Amino acid sequence: MSTAQQAGDLEVRSLVRVFGTGDGAVRAVDDVSFRAPSGLLTGFVGGNGAGKTSTMRMMMGVLAPTSGETLFDGRPITAADRRAFGYMPEERGLYPKQAVLDQLVYLGRLRGIPARAARAEILGHLERLGLADRAKDPVEKLSLGNQQRVQIIAALMGSPRALILDEPFSGLDPAAIDGMADLLREHTARGVPVVFSSHQLDLVERLCERLLILRHGRVVADGTPAELATRGTVRHRLVLSGDAGWVRGVPGVRTLDIDGSAALIELSDDAGGRLLRSALERGDVHEFSPVRPSLTEIYREVAA
Amino acid sequence: MRGSTETPAWLIVTQREIVARVMNKAYLFGLLVTILLIAGIAGFFAWQGQQVDSYDVAVTAGDEPAASAVERAAATLRESGADDELTAHEVPDAAAARAALEDESVDAWLSSGGQDGWTLSSWREPDQGLASLLTPVVEQVTVTEHAAALGTSFDRLAAGGDLVTERLDGDDVDPGVLQFASFALAFLFFMGSIGSGQMIASSVVEEKQSRLVEIIASAVPLRHVLAGKVLGNSVIALAQNVVLASVGLIGLALTDFKAAVPAMTASLGWFVVFFAVGFVAIASLYAMAGSLASRTEDLQGTTAPMAVLLMAVYLTTFGADGTLERVLSFVPVTSIVSMPVRVLSGDAGWWEPVVALVLLAAFALAVVLVSEKAYRRALLQTSGRVGWRQALRA
Repeated sequence: MSTAQQAGDLEVRSLVRVFGTGDGAVRAVDDVSFRAPSGLLTGFVGGNGAGKTSTMRMMMGVLAPTSGETLFDGRPITAADRRAFGYMPEERGLYPKQAVLDQLVYLGRLRGIPARAARAEILGHLERLGLADRAKDPVEKLSLGNQQRVQIIAALMGSPRALILDEPFSGLDPAAIDGMADLLREHTARGVPVVFSSHQLDLVERLCERLLILRHGRVVADGTPAELATRGTVRHRLVLSGDAGWVRGVPGVRTLDIDGSAALIELSDDAGGRLLRSALERGDVHEFSPVRPSLTEIYREVAA
Repeated sequence: MRGSTETPAWLIVTQREIVARVMNKAYLFGLLVTILLIAGIAGFFAWQGQQVDSYDVAVTAGDEPAASAVERAAATLRESGADDELTAHEVPDAAAARAALEDESVDAWLSSGGQDGWTLSSWREPDQGLASLLTPVVEQVTVTEHAAALGTSFDRLAAGGDLVTERLDGDDVDPGVLQFASFALAFLFFMGSIGSGQMIASSVVEEKQSRLVEIIASAVPLRHVLAGKVLGNSVIALAQNVVLASVGLIGLALTDFKAAVPAMTASLGWFVVFFAVGFVAIASLYAMAGSLASRTEDLQGTTAPMAVLLMAVYLTTFGADGTLERVLSFVPVTSIVSMPVRVLSGDAGWWEPVVALVLLAAFALAVVLVSEKAYRRALLQTSGRVGWRQALRA
């Protein structure tokens, strides 16, 4: 493909989708706005019915938004943009009776990749994913994991200008997850935005440069994993040489737990210095450190 | 790389539909069975046409009128050029005749002068062919006898009573052939449209169920996908009809109806043109029916109205004649069958198929536009079955 890949951010503004009418209407996506910068891996997290899939379908133009818009490279997205995107829908499926290579070439041609180029690229992908000898097999003969690999090839071929992948890691074993993550990073390295959804929090925390937590159709958290960690209530751990019981009385300190000489506390803005001075007056301080909440804790906090 | 020489999406879809269909073993098997069925029917008629009926008729000794009647019937058969044979066997008496019937050495026993006049006896059900062969002869023999008694002759009584038939429009199509043609065309129509229609519907729901349609819809306009499916399957349906019609024509040429082959060929030609246009409408409706289902299991329900419609067309067209046939030959969809039949019978003016074809094309266009909209609306709706009314609204 051409070397000058146009890198653009994906942006969603005030996206709303209402299913049904009247009393039974459900706001599946409720005023969702976010930016998926080019060259970064953006992860969608949220429980069932949080609005992840609907948001992605609207970004791909296969579901009409009730209101709001999607932008690519700073302007409203067009069909031509989307044609150059790689997309992996929520439910997996291909033509069960058609050979792997044939249907990937077909999907590639629909996206405007000439048959010959598509074939060469697909064979490369199959080789890399260990499926080279299955190219002529009908898809229904493949295991579910291998069918998923074929699906990801369908999304990745033709150097897409953006990737939108709904649950690309579900059903993969740990080794396959790492392989998939490497593949996705290759695409962010080319400078394209990659958006994917997952309900596996640890995975998202490990892989993503940007993270979005959705709940009941709304964005409840948006940022880098580090930003989200500081946005959550930061706690501190204090370990003294003597008993820590006196900490309870210090103004601006909220004590969460005291266990002998160790205390877990929340500090108001200026209480840290005051507390530390008092502690040093009473003896040694073995440890005074912030405790970063894990993503799971943040998720519980914002999505509870 | 995405240059102007790119193959248009509808053509890519068309190619896939054709290839997928031609590689489908179940489809090929079905087609083969149909071909064998048609060849078998033609073969049966050809075989039946060559069958020679030979009748052995017993006549009791001394029953002169009966012997003379069988003699005359045999002569009539020889004169008509038929291959059938009629042989008289003289038996001594009624008991011998019965015995011959029972041991099947004769087919029937003809006797005159009984209480009710003449009798044709068989051991089982009398052969109707033989009965209808003997009836006029018996009549003739009886009249001749009475004429002699009255002092005149049969020929004088029957003079001027010959009936000669003639047809003034110059066409000479056997009504049996016409009936066969309307049945054959209705059959081809029904087989082609229901078979290919179901294929379209299931290929649509296959893509919907697997969400492949979302990948495709984000790459190309769904209009192209529909066009490709309709075109690809129309090509298949048409090719299938050409193959079946050719097998049928070759079969026809081997039967006693071979004189009808040129007229049938012209009629089939019209049929192919009508079918090509009309199937576009049927295919679009089937694609829409497929898009209304969300799983393959729903297909039977969503395609049911189509099956009923096609069945109705099949049943009304192959039995229609007179004014009904004239009307049906202009009404879109039924015109696919009825107009070619009227062309074959020679009672349609040259402009009539043209007008019917224009009407059919207009109908097809309208159906395509409506179903295209419904197809797009229903296809991306993933929750549950969508009703016809719901899809067509707005």
